[in-house]
Amino acid sequence: MAAILFLGAVIPQIPARAQSFGGPGYMRALDLEQQEKFPAAAAAYRAVLAHDPTSLPGLLGLERVYAQLGRADSLLPIVNAAIARQPHVAAIRTIKLRTLNSLGREDEVRASFARWCAEWPGDPQPYEEYAKLLLQDGRTLKADSVLRQGQATLGSDRAFQYEIAQVRASTGQWAQSAAAWRRAVTDNSYLDQAAVFSLSAVSEAARPQVRAILAAPPITAGARRILAALELGWGSPQQAWLALKDLPPDSSAVAAWLSFAGRAEEVQSWLTARDALMLVLAHKHDASVATRAATDALSGGDAESAVALAGRAEPGMDSAEAASTVLPVHLRALSTLGRPQDATRLLNAYAPYAKGAQSGRLMQDVAWGWIRVGKMAEAKALLERAHLGPAGEMDGWIALYQGDLVTARKHLTAQDESASPQLVLALSLLQRTTADSAPEVGQAFLAMARGDTAAAAAAFQQAAKQVPDAATLLLATAAELYNGRHDPHAQEIWESIVVHHPDAPEAPEAELGWARALQRAGDRTEAVQRLEHLILTYPQSALVPQARRELERLQGAIPSTS
Amino acid sequence: MPLRQIFAIALMLLTPVLARAQHLLVPMDDDQTNHLKAYGLTYNALKDGAKAEWLLNYRGGSFLLPDTPELRRRAGLAGITIQPVDDAALASIRSTIAAGNMDEVPLEKAPKIAVYTPPNAPPWDDAVTLALQYAGIPYTAIWDEQVEHGDLSKFDWLHLHHEDFTGQLNKFYIAYRGAPWFEQLEAQNLAMAKKLGFPNIPALKKDVAEHIREYVQKGGFLFAMCGATETLDLALAGHDVDIAGIFADGTPMDRNADAQMDWSRALAFQGAHLEQSPYVNSMSDIDGHQVNVPGHRQPLGTFTLFQFSAKLDPVNTMLVQDHRSVIPDFYGVTTSFMRNRLKPTDVVLADEPGAPWVKYIHGDYGKGSWTFLGGHDPEDPQHAIGSPPTDLSLHPNSPGYRLILNNVLFPAAKKKPLKT
Repeated sequence: MAAILFLGAVIPQIPARAQSFGGPGYMRALDLEQQEKFPAAAAAYRAVLAHDPTSLPGLLGLERVYAQLGRADSLLPIVNAAIARQPHVAAIRTIKLRTLNSLGREDEVRASFARWCAEWPGDPQPYEEYAKLLLQDGRTLKADSVLRQGQATLGSDRAFQYEIAQVRASTGQWAQSAAAWRRAVTDNSYLDQAAVFSLSAVSEAARPQVRAILAAPPITAGARRILAALELGWGSPQQAWLALKDLPPDSSAVAAWLSFAGRAEEVQSWLTARDALMLVLAHKHDASVATRAATDALSGGDAESAVALAGRAEPGMDSAEAASTVLPVHLRALSTLGRPQDATRLLNAYAPYAKGAQSGRLMQDVAWGWIRVGKMAEAKALLERAHLGPAGEMDGWIALYQGDLVTARKHLTAQDESASPQLVLALSLLQRTTADSAPEVGQAFLAMARGDTAAAAAAFQQAAKQVPDAATLLLATAAELYNGRHDPHAQEIWESIVVHHPDAPEAPEAELGWARALQRAGDRTEAVQRLEHLILTYPQSALVPQARRELERLQGAIPSTS
Repeated sequence: MPLRQIFAIALMLLTPVLARAQHLLVPMDDDQTNHLKAYGLTYNALKDGAKAEWLLNYRGGSFLLPDTPELRRRAGLAGITIQPVDDAALASIRSTIAAGNMDEVPLEKAPKIAVYTPPNAPPWDDAVTLALQYAGIPYTAIWDEQVEHGDLSKFDWLHLHHEDFTGQLNKFYIAYRGAPWFEQLEAQNLAMAKKLGFPNIPALKKDVAEHIREYVQKGGFLFAMCGATETLDLALAGHDVDIAGIFADGTPMDRNADAQMDWSRALAFQGAHLEQSPYVNSMSDIDGHQVNVPGHRQPLGTFTLFQFSAKLDPVNTMLVQDHRSVIPDFYGVTTSFMRNRLKPTDVVLADEPGAPWVKYIHGDYGKGSWTFLGGHDPEDPQHAIGSPPTDLSLHPNSPGYRLILNNVLFPAAKKKPLKT
């Protein structure tokens, strides 16, 4: 298949290249072919060949057109005449092999191949072309024997690495295929994509071998690019980056790192993308790359490095450009780190360059910083200065953090709940409870906003007592936060929800969490019991298919790798 | 009427049917959410001593089980659709069955199942073990040593999959020589041959085939798929002929092998031509599709299950119970069986209409019976070495896999006198 795709990529270029030496007759034939006037196109191509019997564009055109007309056999005398005139041109001999093959004249294909070999004894092309043809037909074993014959005759298989790689891949000999691809791309960098396509099907078990072969010293850019692309395809962006980061730093390596960063961003592997961009920056300073790296760092949750990278970007830009590009990232990163004073200083420094709505949004970013350190008054004051219009989400959050559920309900329920998981949680709470005030709930949300998951977990657990009509929601949130910290409190809370609140909406989710925690702890028997209980007790729950699958996997009924 | 009496009657009327049911109907038509696990539910009910019935051709070949809390629990856990039925509803079902091409077959005993497979082989490369594992049906893995020691007599049902009983390891050496897994497979088989006193793998496998033939002759049920079908018969018919290539036993195949084959010893096939070339990945012309022979490989189509008279021919009817009658074909080392190679006594259970091959066949041999299904994995039609394992939780309604599981339950059926 890789061979077919590869040829597909090359063939369309032929008419384009041919324009330069095909002449007006050829252009007319090509036009007729494109209009699907095949009989007329055939006549036009024949006219081209009458003028120049070895015209390669003419022969290729006639090959295509005759194939459409079902007259491939008519091409043979013309190709034979061309070979007689130019016996050294491999492309013409290949047309003959292809034509005979398409006609199913297997004996003649072999004879033609043998004649080619005999007439040009040191030439690897007959072996290459015949093997390619066989591979396209799925005749792997025959292709293999042709390549072995070529190797024996020529004393080397260097010229056939591309074909060998495909043969080995098609028989599942992945290590041998990877080794051949490595050699093939060393001489022909354009084969990268074909190699990636061919090796992307490597089984899980064979991947370590393939990795070892492509990563082995000496480091070659081609092999490392293939490995990186494979790792990305296999869902391991970090491994992909490891494959690329050791490339000798030259312009092609920088280009590879930049390209890799883009692909890592596509799969939201933000910190890997950041690392790639940082390496680019180490060899070539570029403010836009630094801004991109800062943005990736912040998206990946590393606000510290986002601050550092934003700081590197700003000096390379004029202030107005910085205010609209890197400043928002910088301010959000500082706010995330709980450094609203630094954010305020930076905001003030750029104040002349940020106008109107843009300025308001920047103030809002800084206001989040004040909220994260619990300084609601400063946050409110900044929001008032921001002139962002009627009270909105921000005011709702501030109210919630202060435990004012009435105001929070008023401002948050109008927001798009797909915006963030925190908003979904807040809306769930505000819909569930009828309470008007719950300061402990506010403290819990505030701790979560600050990123202090330990304090948030404890606060949510505590708040459950204050808001009994939403207790299980708060407890489940606490359990999730504890679980994220690998804290055994999570299991206790899940157990308590299942045992004491079996009718709560959170009970199936709690039981699934409990079962998973048991499974992680190696208590398979109890995990099975929990999953069975979930399935039988909550048959209508959306979590049942998931629970059933985990049960089947625990019982060995389905493969563990799927 | 006193108020208490009225209340009691009202309570009776309001009591849900569920609570009054005495049977559980396991429908096997499109209402069933997990066809494959339904077989496991039935098998394990039998294993626990319950009686069951197979309602042939009734709603896709449904099962009738006693209504017990444990069975309800198992059905709930596995996501199997069950429908409680009381005596009145059951009477109506029985009358429907009596009036049509349907029948009720009592299932009495969970058959003891053996699967012929190398030690430590994961269950994921064999459709039958995949199906058994997923359905929760227990089985015992046996290999050459147990067969040679006579252990087959301990089992009611034996399954073979893609083993090559000609001892040529499916001629995989052509494409995979040098591959670590192939070298390991060859070494493992050769070590076993030596251990059991045979000079080479073909000699061992022929003897194993002979044990299997005797097992069926004495009343065993044999179900084979993929390459095991064709090679078992080749090994049996070629008992006294060298049918293995030079790479397998050190001597070339007897050039006159075709003429020396004794097809009276074979279960299903006759008159086949053996592939003499060690470089052609085919055993004989029994297989219609020849998946590993470039230029001869036939494309996959669909196969159609035959209908049999449930009351007159319950055995064949059991083997074709399915909620689909036309099923997409799937490749295997042996994908199909050429019609001109079948013995006249073979019963064709499924074929590809208009094609020179059939897919699924059955026959009696001695006191036992055999069933052959071509192909490797019904849900992985192009299965290749190294393909990821099929996850049956993604195919719980697979009509192809149902054919395998029909075979598992078929030995559980109580023999009924033929209604002629």
